[in-house]
Amino acid sequence: MPDQPHKPSDVEIIRRIINGDVNSFEHLLKKYQDHVLMIAKKHVPYIEVEEMAQEVFVRAYQALPGFKEEGSFKQWLSAIAVRTCYDFWRKQYRSKELPISDFTDSHRDWMEKTLSNQFDISFNERSHTEEARELLDWALDRLSAEDRIVLELEYLEGLSVKEAACLLGWSVAKVKVRSFRSRRKLKKLLTESMVD
Amino acid sequence: MKSLQHRHEVLKKILRKAYYEKERVKVGKQWHQDLMCRIRGLGPIETGTYFFMLFEQFFWRLTPATCFLIFISVTLLFKLDFSPKYDILASLIYDTEEVTLAQLFEF
Repeated sequence: MPDQPHKPSDVEIIRRIINGDVNSFEHLLKKYQDHVLMIAKKHVPYIEVEEMAQEVFVRAYQALPGFKEEGSFKQWLSAIAVRTCYDFWRKQYRSKELPISDFTDSHRDWMEKTLSNQFDISFNERSHTEEARELLDWALDRLSAEDRIVLELEYLEGLSVKEAACLLGWSVAKVKVRSFRSRRKLKKLLTESMVD
Repeated sequence: MKSLQHRHEVLKKILRKAYYEKERVKVGKQWHQDLMCRIRGLGPIETGTYFFMLFEQFFWRLTPATCFLIFISVTLLFKLDFSPKYDILASLIYDTEEVTLAQLFEF
């Protein structure tokens, strides 16, 4: 039986890169590009996804000497990806280049139907999901970068406070406070928009 | 009350579903090549630069603690009567040695 070709581990690849073999980075790129793209897709607007994912890998490449070999590379890369997305929103809010969408009548109708229990959890209509997405984007655009990222990680992705804190590099207490505030703001935004 | 909570749960589930819909976005193949070109353009990693970056990062993090320690140290030094004693100061001001030497030369 022929020997299986030796597949280098992440740590071995990282050592090679640090020793000057830049091309080895392609192994890491191929292995984790889907994972990074998936994070970027969820956190930044569609047109920014490719640029953001590139930025994540460039940051990871430059920070490779700081990677602790006993930890998981995927986890480490995820943290860089989430922080890069968070930085994107911080920049956007600072430069006030945020695309603000409007709360339309169709959004209001959608909200009324949802809250009046006319929708079942199992509803699966594409148009309704798109309306929900538009509404979600509308609400998220009105939150601060901190509130936005915490809400996305904890409320929408269902991560625990500890996991979110680990990804963002924040304390657990800070994530808890932000989470509470952001949920309250989201609720206020959605209910106020119904009244207006 | 239970009904309101149920509605919010429904809303949460729908928003989550909508959020995960974002994953369906397609990315071009050129992306991979562009990124590798960018990485090659950066060249081999300079570990020295990385340590400098780390130093810079920790320098600002440790600044408040350092300022606090300096403040405590200065306060303690004053409390422990570190100020120069009058006698030492006087011996420097009224240095009699010079006079003696002058007298010697006169001689």
